[in-house]
Parts: sequence; C-alpha cells; structure tokens
Amino acid sequence: MAISPTEVRPEPASFRDPANRVFHVGDEVLRGLDPQAAAHWRALTGSTFFPALVAARKVCATEDAPPTLVPAATGTPWAAVLRHERIPFVSHPYEWSFSMLRDAALLHLEILTAALGEGFTTKDGSAYNLQWRGAQPVFIDIGSFEPMRDGEPWAGYRQFCQTVLYPLMLTAHLGVDFQPWLRARVDGIEADELRPLFNGARRLRPGVLTHLHLHGAMQHRNAAASTTEVRDQLRAAGFSRELLLATVRGIEKLVGKLDRRPPESHWSDYQRTCGYSARDRVAKEQFVAVAVAAGTRPRLVLDLGANDGRYSRLAAGHADYVVAVEQDPTVVDELYRQLRSEGQRRILPLVLDLADPSPGGGWRGVERAGFAERASADVVLALAVVHHLAIGRNVPLPEVIDWLAGLTAPGGAVVVEFVHPEDPMATRLLANKPAGLFPDYRRDAFETLLAARGRITDRLELPSGTRTLYRTVMGG
Amino acid sequence: MEHLAYLDAGSGSLIVQAVVGGVAGAAVAAKLYWRRLVDRFRRQPTDQR
Ligand SMILES: C[S@@+](CC[C@H](N)C(=O)[O-])C[C@H]1O[C@@H](n2cnc3c(N)ncnc32)[C@H](O)[C@@H]1O
Repeated sequence: MAISPTEVRPEPASFRDPANRVFHVGDEVLRGLDPQAAAHWRALTGSTFFPALVAARKVCATEDAPPTLVPAATGTPWAAVLRHERIPFVSHPYEWSFSMLRDAALLHLEILTAALGEGFTTKDGSAYNLQWRGAQPVFIDIGSFEPMRDGEPWAGYRQFCQTVLYPLMLTAHLGVDFQPWLRARVDGIEADELRPLFNGARRLRPGVLTHLHLHGAMQHRNAAASTTEVRDQLRAAGFSRELLLATVRGIEKLVGKLDRRPPESHWSDYQRTCGYSARDRVAKEQFVAVAVAAGTRPRLVLDLGANDGRYSRLAAGHADYVVAVEQDPTVVDELYRQLRSEGQRRILPLVLDLADPSPGGGWRGVERAGFAERASADVVLALAVVHHLAIGRNVPLPEVIDWLAGLTAPGGAVVVEFVHPEDPMATRLLANKPAGLFPDYRRDAFETLLAARGRITDRLELPSGTRTLYRTVMGG
Repeated sequence: MEHLAYLDAGSGSLIVQAVVGGVAGAAVAAKLYWRRLVDRFRRQPTDQR
C-alpha cells in the first residue's frame, strides 16, 4: 500500500486528551497543540529539567514545526505544532518483559520527580507514555506535561497502578505473567479484579495492603464524591508538594523492590541444549550475516523466535534496527537485561507468541495497532522456528510462508531455516503428533512453496545435513 | 478556579495518596476525614427542620 508523502494520518492512539493530537505525515511524527497546551509547551522549553531529560535521551527529542503542517479537528488551526523524533518500532506494554515494564515505570517516576521539582507534573501515568529505543525506555508523551497546582495529588496515580504497578505485582508477588492481562484491557488491571488474588498472607507482600486493598476500598467509599470536591478537601487538609514528592518516592522504592521470580524455562537453556554442532553454527552464522548484508542496508530486521538474541546481534551489525520476537517471557527478560547492560539501542526484545500475535486493541480495535500492522521488515529472520509453527502448532506450511511474506516490506528478504523432518528436533515434535499428520512437511515441498512466493537467491545445507537455510527475495 | 483534567483521577485514588505518604500524609487524611465528619454533624440539624 503506497502512502503519499504529504498525506496527514491522525494517530489512532492519540485522542484521549483533546488538548493535543499526534499525526503522521510521511515519515514524520507531528503533534498539534491547542492554545493552553501550547502555553504549557513554551513553559516546558523554558525549564531546566525538560531539556536535560531530552539531552539524556530519556524523553523523545521534540522541536517546533510550522503550525500549518496538520489540520485541527475544529477547523481553527492548532496553536502550535511539534515534530517528534521517530521511534523505530512502536511496541505495547503487553509485549514487554517484566524488567522492561519495571524500567519503564522507574523512568516515568524519575521524570515525574524531575518535573515536580520545577512545578510541573504529568497529567497521566500510563505505561503507554513510554516506548523503546532498543533496550532504553523513552518517554514520548510530551502533551502530558503541565504546570502543577499546589496541594493536589498526582492525577496519574490510578492509571499508573492499573497499567504498571498492578501488572508488576502480579508477576513479582504471584509469579503470574502480566502480559495477557494487559493485552486484554486497554486501561489496565482494576484494583477490584486483582484484590481477590491477594488474600490471606499475600496481603502482606510489599505494596499490596496500601496500593491495592486500601486503594480499592477507598475507590468504593468515595465513588460518589467528585474529584473536584476531593481535590479541594485535600488542599484544605494541607496536602503539599512535599507530601506528593514523598508519595512518589515511596512508589519508586516499591517498584525498585519488585522482582520477578524466574520460573524454570525450557528455552532459557536452549543454546547449550540445541544440538548444533560447532560446524553447523559457524556455517549458519556466516550465511545469516551475508544474507542480511546482501541488499541495501535494512532499516528494520525482524528476528522471529529470537531466543537469546544471537542472530539479532549479528543482524544489528548490518541493519539500523532489529526487533527480536520471542514467546517465552523469561527468555525475553534475560535477553533484555543483557542488552540493557550493554547499553544496546538498536535491538528491541519483545514477548510475542507468533501463533497468537498481538491483535489490534482499544477503541475500534485500532487504538493499539496489532503486530501484523506494525511489522513490515526489510529482512525477516525465521531461524529454526518454522517447525514450531508447522508441526508444534499445526499451521499449514503454505500459510507459514504467506505469513512470512506478509511481514516483509516490498522487495525485502526472508532468511529462513528449514529443519528437515529427519532432524532430531523435528522428530521430537513429530513424535507428539499422530504419524503421517504432516505429509507435506518436506524440504522439497517447502522449497517449491518458497519459490512460488519469491526468488531464492541463496541456499545452504548445514554440514549436519538435516537443516537448510534460504535467502528469498519476496515477490522478486 | 475549577480544574477538570481529561483523565478521571478517581476520588479514592487521590485520597489514598495522602494515606501512603507516611506520617505527614496520614495527618492530612485524618484531617480530611475529621472535617467531613464535622460537616455532617453541622448539617444534620438543618436537615431535620
Ligand atoms: C529452536 S529455537 C531457535 C532460536 C534462534 N532463532 C536460532 O536459530 O538459534 C526456537 C525459538 O523459537 C521460540 N518459539 C517457538 N515457538 C514460538 C512462537 N509460537 N512464538 C514465538 N517464539 C516461538 C522458542 O521459544 C525458541 O526460543
């Protein structure tokens, strides 16, 4: 689908705060501001904390743009228009691992604290305020900053609990993966939904009694009171900025304490147990490196079933950005921690089941774009993963290849490893299914399907003789 | 001046922030509840008229 370079496309995820709205024009990300938001923006640029956060790359780089660039909904032009730095690949909190959500949370609180120090606040507290540059979180919602009013608590606290704190507690305290919960609810987990799980001695886990139970009870008791009324009452009772800072510090301490207890994961030990001979590994690495570097430098590489990210790192040597997709949250968390310690800015690890990728979510199912919609890569790596889909999940081979083609940008390449049915790993998967269920799972059938959808430019059978690698230019 | 945010901060969610803010916060919460109580008693006689 060709997009004309000047077509203005409103960002479907940006409508909740009418004071500002994000648009895409070609490759540019622009934000229109109403008069009040524009005044807040000017105040922000005059502060010391904001430019410092941008310089530290903790907030996405933003500059003024001509106000004529995007039309306002009302017909009267926006008071100001901003141009944002482009985030290489947009992801959603339910695609992040535990440590990713926690680091994103800590950054949000750090930014809030810095803002409060200079009389600003953030008007919301959503996990969706953050995105990633590789393994570095970045705050993107510039429209969220506004001058604080003394004597008022943080308006974003409830949202922070629902989209950040409760998901973290679920995993840290109960060992339950938060991703499916967040994916199911665009506004996050309600206190009432979580409270029944934190009964008995679990009430005593850090943060549970106050931020969950007391908070939930208070919500019920004050359901009829308007927030305006309560704000006035709190101000009259002496709620101060110092108190607000102490509260935020408390939340920060709590979040820093939450840790995941990693369950035994079958896949975390994969590289040791995968059964590749040294010769196979060298040949595979060489093939993949050459295949990624073959065409024009890829802007985006997708590594499907990335495991410990070995091939993502390899690809990052020849591409602008790599998204490493993996179903196992524990494996992704380990990969993330490693990438973070290396200061990696060009590999983004994500939790995603390829057989059940993120669908569109939120309002009309477009507020949070589905994975297929976001994924358009110049190179798609599918290394030792096709058998998991074709045998493990019963996806017909032609479907698997159509799907790979769909993830590839026009003229892009798929680098795929086919594990022959005789290979020990494939045999193991086949042993769990009735004999003869997959008569078409053969190398020649796979190759025919591949050739029908693209041009196979390179082919290599690994020395062990049970795996073959292909580079295919799709549609070519 | 009345201020309304685009996001419903939630009344209970505002008050609980005082409660979790240590001793000083608890004092604010106590004061808020005390005033609410006093207000209720003050209002009662008029209600019965
Ligand atoms: C055999 S390993 C291959 C790892 C790496 N691509 C390589 O070639 O060395 C398969 C990986 O794919 C992941 N995987 C399997 N099925 C998947 C699915 N449905 N969605 C996402 N990842 C999956 C596994 O968790 C595992 O890490």
